[in-house]
Amino acid sequence: MILLDNHNVVIEETLTQPIVNNNPTAFDVKVVDFDGVSCHLSTLESNSVIRFSLSMLCYKELVQWGAQDMLQREYGPYCVSDTEEGYDFTLEFNLQNLPKDKEQREELVNKLAMIKRDLLAQPFERAFEQQAKFEDEKQTNPHSELMQIHYRDQEAFYIQAQLDRVTVIFSTLFKEDTDKIFGKVFLQEFVDARRRPNIQNAPQVLYSSKEPPLEIRHLSELQKTNKNEEIGYVTFVLFPRHFTRGDVREKTISQIQLFRDYLHYHIKCSKAYMHSRMRARVQAFLKVLNRAKPELPNVEKKTITGKTIVRT
Amino acid sequence: MSNTLRPYLAAVRSTLTAALCLENFSSQVAERHNNPEVEARLSSSEVVVNPLTISRNKQEKVLIEPSVNSIRVSIKIKQADEIERILCHKFTRFMMIRAENFIILRRKPIIVIDFIIQFMEEVDKEISEMKLSLNTRARTVAESYLLQFT
Repeated sequence: MILLDNHNVVIEETLTQPIVNNNPTAFDVKVVDFDGVSCHLSTLESNSVIRFSLSMLCYKELVQWGAQDMLQREYGPYCVSDTEEGYDFTLEFNLQNLPKDKEQREELVNKLAMIKRDLLAQPFERAFEQQAKFEDEKQTNPHSELMQIHYRDQEAFYIQAQLDRVTVIFSTLFKEDTDKIFGKVFLQEFVDARRRPNIQNAPQVLYSSKEPPLEIRHLSELQKTNKNEEIGYVTFVLFPRHFTRGDVREKTISQIQLFRDYLHYHIKCSKAYMHSRMRARVQAFLKVLNRAKPELPNVEKKTITGKTIVRT
Repeated sequence: MSNTLRPYLAAVRSTLTAALCLENFSSQVAERHNNPEVEARLSSSEVVVNPLTISRNKQEKVLIEPSVNSIRVSIKIKQADEIERILCHKFTRFMMIRAENFIILRRKPIIVIDFIIQFMEEVDKEISEMKLSLNTRARTVAESYLLQFT
C-alpha cells in the first residue's frame, strides 16, 4: 500500500448498514482522520435518526473559502442549526427521509466518507477558479489572495493563484532528528523525480528547509518561527493542465491535500523497516557470539550423601 | 572486500589474538576482589598495557586496550554523511539496549575474535544497505505520488 486513500473507511463501514441497507441499528462511534479531524457518529433515541458531527482545526478558515456553501449545496436538507458541543458542524439523517434509490444512498455514504477531503478542497477550487479568470482575457484580473489553512497545530498550507499557475505551499514540521534527515532524503527525491521522462508532466516540486518561499515570507507568523530549523517548506507549482475540470482536478486536489500525511507515513514506514532489519541483524550477531560458549563439562557430580546433581 | 579492508581486518585480528591472552588476576588493592583491570584501573599501571589504535582511515579505527585480565575493544564506524550518522547512531543504540544479550565474558577467545571481525565487516554493510533502501523507498514513494498527476 504505497498510496493513501482519501476516504475514511470507518465512516463508510459504519454508515453502510443503516443508510444503504436501511437497517436502523444503535451506534455511537468516534472516528478520527488525518490532521486532527474527528467525527462523531451516533444515533438519537429512535434509531432512525443518525447524527454526524465533525470537528477540524481549520474549519473556521475553510468557511471563509466556501466550506459552508459546499455543505449547504451537498447536504442542504440534512444540515441542522444546533451543532453538537465540541464540534464544528452537525448533519442529521432521518432514515425515513432518505432517497428511495439505493444507488443514491450509496452515493451519499461515499460522499460522507470523503467529507474531509471535500471540505479541504474548497480553497483549491477557489484558487483554480481565480486562475481561470487570469487566463480569460475578457475578465478583469481578480486580486490574487493568499489563502492560509492552518490544518495542524504548527503546520499549515498556503494556496495562491497566479497569472499562469497555482502555487501550493506546505510547511511541515519534523519533530525528531531522524525524521528531519529522512524527510530531507524523501523531499529531495520529490524534487529530483521530475527528471525522469515518464513524470515530466507532474507538478514541479520545490523544497527549502529554513527559508520560507517568497510567496509567504511576508507573513508575520513565519517571521517569528523563522529560525526554527525543523520546519521545511514544500512548494507545488500547478499549471492549468493539472486542474482541467473533471477527474483530473478532483484527483489533483485529493492527492495534494494528502501530501503531508503521505510523506510522514512513509517516513514512519522506513523507520519501522530499519527497526526490523536491525532486529534481524542483532539476532544474527548473537548467533555468532553464542558459538563461543564453552561446552559444559559433562561429569556427574555427587554430593557427600550420594545424591546426583544434574547441570542444566 | 576492498583493498584496504583486508589488511585492516587482518591487523585487528592479529592484535586481538595477541591481546586475548588473559588470565585470572586478583585485585592488588582490595582483598578477594577480582575486577577487570582495564575498567577498574585500581592498581598500578603494570597490569594495564599500552593501548593500541589501528586506523584504516580518519573515520574508521579500532582502539584495543589490553590488560592482564580483561580487554576493551572500541570500534569507530564510518559515518560519511548525515544519514549514515543517524543510522549508525540508531544501530549502536539498538545494540546497546540489548547489551545484556551480548555476553562476551568467559567465551572461547578465537570465536570471540571471529565475532568482532564479522561485526566490523557487517556493520558497514548493514548501514550502507539501510541507506540504500531508504533512498530506494524515497524514490518509489516520490515517483508513485507524482505519477498520479500525469
